[in-house]
Amino acid sequence: MSLLELKNVSKVYGNLHALDHVSLKVEKGEWLAIMGPSGSGKSTMMNIIGALDKATEGEILLDGEDISRKNARALTDIRRDKIGLIFQQFHLVSYLTAVENVMLAQYYHSLPDEKEALEALERVGLADRAKHYPSQLSGGEQQRVCVARALINYPEIILADEPTGNLDEANEEIVVELFRKLHLEGTTLIVVTHNPEVAEVAQRTIVLRNGRVDHEMINENFTGKIKHITLQ
Amino acid sequence: MEKTVNLQIQDTKDIDMKKRKMYIRMITASLLRRRSRMIIALLAISIGAMILSGLVTIYIDVPRQMGAQFRSYGANMIVTPDSDRMMPDQVEAVRGLVPDDKLVGIAAYRYETVRVNDRPVMAASADLEQVQKTSPFWLVDGEWPAADGEIMIGKNVARMYNLKPGKRMTCTYAPESETEAGDGETEEVVLDNWVDFTVTAILDTGGKEEDYVYMRTSDMEKLTGEATAYDVCELSVSSGSDELKALSGKISEQVPGVSARLVKRVTESEDTVLSKLQSLVLLVTVVVLALTMICVATTMTAVVAERRKEIGLRKALGASNQSIIAEFMGEGIVLGACGGLLGAILGFLFAQAVSRNVFHSSITLMPWLVPVTILASVLVTGAACMIPIRSATQVDPALVLKGE
Amino acid sequence: MFVRMIAKAFLRQWKKMLMIAFTIALGSSLATAMLSVMMDVEDKMNQELKAYGANITVVPKSTSVISDLYDVGDENISGNYLKEDELGKIKTIFWAFNIVDYTPFISTQVSLDSGNTATLTGTWFNHHMDLPTGEALDAGIASLRSWWTVDGEWLDEQSDGSSECAMVGSSLAKKEGLSAGDMIHVTGSKEEKNLKVVGVFDSGGEEDDLIYVTVDTAQALGGLEGKIDSIEVSALTTPDNELAQKAARDPSSLSVSQYETWYCTAYVSSICYQIEEVVTDSVASAVRQVADSEGQILNKTELLMILITILSMVGAALGICNLVTASVMERSQEIGLMKAIGAHNPAITGLVLTEVLCTALIGGVIGFYAGIGFAQIIGHSVFSASIQIRPMVVPVVAVLVGLVTLIGSIPAIRMLLNLRPTEVLHGR
Repeated sequence: MSLLELKNVSKVYGNLHALDHVSLKVEKGEWLAIMGPSGSGKSTMMNIIGALDKATEGEILLDGEDISRKNARALTDIRRDKIGLIFQQFHLVSYLTAVENVMLAQYYHSLPDEKEALEALERVGLADRAKHYPSQLSGGEQQRVCVARALINYPEIILADEPTGNLDEANEEIVVELFRKLHLEGTTLIVVTHNPEVAEVAQRTIVLRNGRVDHEMINENFTGKIKHITLQ
Repeated sequence: MEKTVNLQIQDTKDIDMKKRKMYIRMITASLLRRRSRMIIALLAISIGAMILSGLVTIYIDVPRQMGAQFRSYGANMIVTPDSDRMMPDQVEAVRGLVPDDKLVGIAAYRYETVRVNDRPVMAASADLEQVQKTSPFWLVDGEWPAADGEIMIGKNVARMYNLKPGKRMTCTYAPESETEAGDGETEEVVLDNWVDFTVTAILDTGGKEEDYVYMRTSDMEKLTGEATAYDVCELSVSSGSDELKALSGKISEQVPGVSARLVKRVTESEDTVLSKLQSLVLLVTVVVLALTMICVATTMTAVVAERRKEIGLRKALGASNQSIIAEFMGEGIVLGACGGLLGAILGFLFAQAVSRNVFHSSITLMPWLVPVTILASVLVTGAACMIPIRSATQVDPALVLKGE
Repeated sequence: MFVRMIAKAFLRQWKKMLMIAFTIALGSSLATAMLSVMMDVEDKMNQELKAYGANITVVPKSTSVISDLYDVGDENISGNYLKEDELGKIKTIFWAFNIVDYTPFISTQVSLDSGNTATLTGTWFNHHMDLPTGEALDAGIASLRSWWTVDGEWLDEQSDGSSECAMVGSSLAKKEGLSAGDMIHVTGSKEEKNLKVVGVFDSGGEEDDLIYVTVDTAQALGGLEGKIDSIEVSALTTPDNELAQKAARDPSSLSVSQYETWYCTAYVSSICYQIEEVVTDSVASAVRQVADSEGQILNKTELLMILITILSMVGAALGICNLVTASVMERSQEIGLMKAIGAHNPAITGLVLTEVLCTALIGGVIGFYAGIGFAQIIGHSVFSASIQIRPMVVPVVAVLVGLVTLIGSIPAIRMLLNLRPTEVLHGR
């Protein structure tokens, strides 16, 4: 059984079909990239997978459970328990330190544990920046705090929306390397991006166009190996 | 998974404690680290609370303070003897029945007809210090008689005899028995007692007091050769008319030989005017409070509305509406309580300043007002935060996070 | 472009602008209402204090010396009276408008059937006068003795047969066994009459021994046609100050300009002086008990209202300041962008200020009218009269709202100017 399965999912805004009968299967432990030009339905798809939004039509099976008909409250619980989100604009709470931002996710999920949160920051190479505020961190560091926050609760899926959109090349590589590490640990990754360099390191890439899956590419020389980049 | 196993091992108490710790940590972080915004919010709340506590203090204290002002209308209770005259011990008994803190003044008068240049003049004697308290409206040109041999004369008397302060006059008194016996006889019998006085003051009241002369009790005793007994006793008591009615009933009942009644002109009118004044202050308080509270609410709304994005993020992280409301309300309540406390203190200081300036007396501290003010500010702040929080939690987190 | 940007700001942010306008409207209505009430409170309280009765008494020149001294014997002996036909002149003095009520008194001794004598006083109860100015006034003791409690009814001068009616004081009524509706036979020095007792009053004072009848009845009984003993006048006065006290002692001691000021201010002493000018051979004097206390209470009330007004204005001002600051700060990102594309500080300041001031203007005008409404609510529910809105209020409120909005924008603008565009755009 697939971890995530979309069956004929549509999302209609007025008379605009943002998603038009899309079907998709994601296996456990898979690393999927979603690409496509602006307006192709990437964000809509990401919102629907991330349980941030509801589909107009179709079925979404997460862990064999149909979440397409759930109410806002149940969707909130699904987000909390099964999904880790990473945003292009990072979205860190400005008045909380890095470690506190990570603990925020723990707090909503189960219980805050500073030690565990620090470990998570260590995994993204930010152990020494734990007590800094977002405004004191560089863009790459902020995105790594986001990654730490997303993985702290061991979600079924980590969903990243343009994770490198606001980053320079060096930081981009660091984040990609983090993804590779997560993949090796068995985490399911879905990365929405229009950066081909980020997409081509994934196992599989689907390309959306006008709300439909245009084509699908399998990365044949996918190694899953870690390049040797040292984290600052 | 790993985590779930961990969770089962943890006992619930520990979880609760850890969650609470994080909750407090978040709230304090938000309050302390977003300083400029929090100062704005705190300022708004404490202004609201200050106006609340200040105006309520004034509203409650105004009748008391103004009541004291109304005592400038003079005596509001008269005690008269049932028979001929009343003795000093009766006056003392009356005095004992009036609570000390309510009594403004008590002046017992003795009236005798004396002769000045062979013409009759009404002379009154009393404890003149008390008279100053019971009749504060008397316009006295000169000094109140302070020693024996000094006299204050009414304006009309002064005009009739052409007297000025500093001039001397002589009063003569014919003892009653002889006046009656000597009725129609020669004048010499009458020239019994006489006292020389120095005029120290001229009295202007616009009433019949202008036809009288006022002297000290000891001079009157000397002049008449009789021990003091009073014709009438005036009291100035600072109480409402209901209390006064009860008091006058008590005096008539408990002090033998006297009856007390209210000077209706003063008591009834005071009730009318004071109730107007109080309803004026009440209405002003209500209007000002309503407007200020709305003002506080809009400021709080603006401060919270700014954080829509943060609310969206928390929702995306899986926070339930309840927990978001709990966090933001927690902040609101802390702010409301701090602002309320600050405002209650400022409000008291304001009311105190008003009281000092207007009434030259300090205001009574009302300790119950502090918790009431804090509660009110917490409620207003909470209600004001609720609106934007609710609307923010209703919005799709995806939309909030997308919009820059 | 500038106008276009501002128009856009209003269209785009209409919700936020609406909130600022709303708060400014609240503040301005508060200021308007409080200022109006404050400025009118002296007049209104003055009216209320009329409950204490007359504050001026007018007596004939010579009796003012002798009255009350001989409480024995025939009162008619002095032979000094005011003229009844001069009563109307009191409403013609400079401060005629401030004279809210007055009533004449004429007393005569009558003997009753029981053999006792009593003082019978003729007065106005609700005497109707049509004034030369076109106004009408109901004057008399019905309003000047507001503290009386009457068992029965007040004597109505307008009704037929009012000259056959009387009101009797409670002490006398008790002594004679009279109650409302009884008939009483009185014999005056000239005539005798049967009077119907319409009401028994309790004044709580010396008047409880008197019989009150209409002026005509008393004059007929005592043979005193056209004569008046005294007049009580209730006037709205300005609390005394030093000038008034000096003038009260001797108006001739004043310099010309002082005299002008005094004469043209409604001090109780200047009103007395003016009454003496129109009523021949009269002495008008202030009833200190009423006049002085009135002054004191008016002063206190006004001071109290001034301080409350100041408090509410400070509150309104800080409220507006706060919201303006909060809402301008919110726009840091937009301002950062403007700076990034090359806007200079003055341009940004100008834009923000114009926006805020436009909002303030709209809010201020709405608030002003709302404030007038609030003032009227207060006026009608407390004093049952409308509050007069002084023209003074308009500039005061305008300046206040303008200043407060500007001051409120200062911290926010300073913050915006210190912004570094990079920080903002990188989304801190």
